[in-house]
Amino acid sequence: MRHTSLISVYLTLLIALLCQLFPWVGQGIIFRPDFMLVILLYWLLRAPNLCSVGTAWLAGLLVDLATGSLLGQHALSFTITAFVALSYQRRLVLFNGWQLAGYVFALLIIERFVILLLKLFAGNENPGWHYFLPIIAGLLLWQFMILMFGGLTRPKTN
Amino acid sequence: MLKGVHQKLEAQQTPAFFVRGAKPFSRMVFFCALSITIMAVDARLNYLSQVRQAFIAALHPLEIVANTPGEWYRDINKYFSAHNQLVQENYALKQQAFEHQVKLQRLNTIQAENEHLRSLLNGNMPIQPKAVLGEISHMGRDPFTHVVVVNRGSHHSIKAGQAVVDSNGVIGQVTRVYPFTSEVTLITDKELSIPIQIERNQMRAIAFGEGNNTLDIPYLPTNVDIKVGDKLVTSGIDGVYPAGLAVATVTKIQQNPESPFAKIISTPVAGVSNHLQLLLLELSEPKEIDAPKAAPEASTESNKDNVNTNAKNKAKANAPH
Repeated sequence: MRHTSLISVYLTLLIALLCQLFPWVGQGIIFRPDFMLVILLYWLLRAPNLCSVGTAWLAGLLVDLATGSLLGQHALSFTITAFVALSYQRRLVLFNGWQLAGYVFALLIIERFVILLLKLFAGNENPGWHYFLPIIAGLLLWQFMILMFGGLTRPKTN
Repeated sequence: MLKGVHQKLEAQQTPAFFVRGAKPFSRMVFFCALSITIMAVDARLNYLSQVRQAFIAALHPLEIVANTPGEWYRDINKYFSAHNQLVQENYALKQQAFEHQVKLQRLNTIQAENEHLRSLLNGNMPIQPKAVLGEISHMGRDPFTHVVVVNRGSHHSIKAGQAVVDSNGVIGQVTRVYPFTSEVTLITDKELSIPIQIERNQMRAIAFGEGNNTLDIPYLPTNVDIKVGDKLVTSGIDGVYPAGLAVATVTKIQQNPESPFAKIISTPVAGVSNHLQLLLLELSEPKEIDAPKAAPEASTESNKDNVNTNAKNKAKANAPH
């Protein structure tokens, strides 16, 4: 486990909220990644002692408030995703980059699926396949986070 | 037995690396229950709108920060727009203004005539709604709802329920008001319906949003007199949308032999994605809607008399000529 400061966690989450608030227009809105979730997952997997399911819930609630959607739906989906992420967190040391990306891909799918289920229960129509496009953008953002802040484990040279 | 001993050992010697407080599972159950409760409260009761408003107001500085790059981009674009383009635009606008002025001259005489006729019939004047010009600051962030956010809020005395139009037609209705911004739900949203009238034959109906950039007019029989290309305008009977605003044009009529109703699909005329500016029309006072309802029986007789005398006067006035 690498050392991380609490400030960097909350600062990046704030930046994620800012990106969430960014006025997306046109085609960008379809491809827009779920900033909050990807950055939250990064910190959850890297520093589970600093943030946990409760942080995920709070982040989800912030997203709900900021996006004006039904209060609690992102909180619920983030909580479930964070739980799944944490339950396999200790085995991630054995994963290489591609396996890790696959794991994050699965987590992002879970989150989208929970939201979709909630929306379908509320009587919305099936939004179509492009509803899942943000997952790809989310993976790109994940790779960007790895580039910026380094991998989950200490580099092997140390 | 052995397993128990193993567990005991593990519990005693857990290094700090593994200590995480409560188990993730119990936390997950707790927070899931909490979010489901919040969802139920938010969906069924309206306790949380205050919380939401306060939060959005607190978030406003952050939103301004998020909006600045886009605004800079727009400003720079404006600054560097070519001379040629500006000249062309100026020419086109002048031409448009001239055309509008010609139309306006006719409108003035027609309005005067209309007022005169209405006064003859003792009808009440149609209210000219006041309007506030707003600008779309961004599209809604929830892909399931059709919402745009406008840079006018309760500080500019915007109220929930106001109709929103652009230069082509109706866009939607203000559904949530925050201090500096407000959410406008588009007529294509599933939650919104709008009373309409077919311009050609004045038939009234209600159009519902379909959730995919079209409007649906349900519950009309298969032999209804609607054709592809018919224009739909607001009927004005709801007191929200003033009468006569363009809403949509009919694009498709499907007749399913199994269903007694025709499926009529129309596309909105207002260009939400192309226009930045829009008008937020002020709500008409509830008094003005209630007043004619309150005393219809009492005044019908006298009204009739008035109309008759008015007509007679008019006839007299006209007679000598």
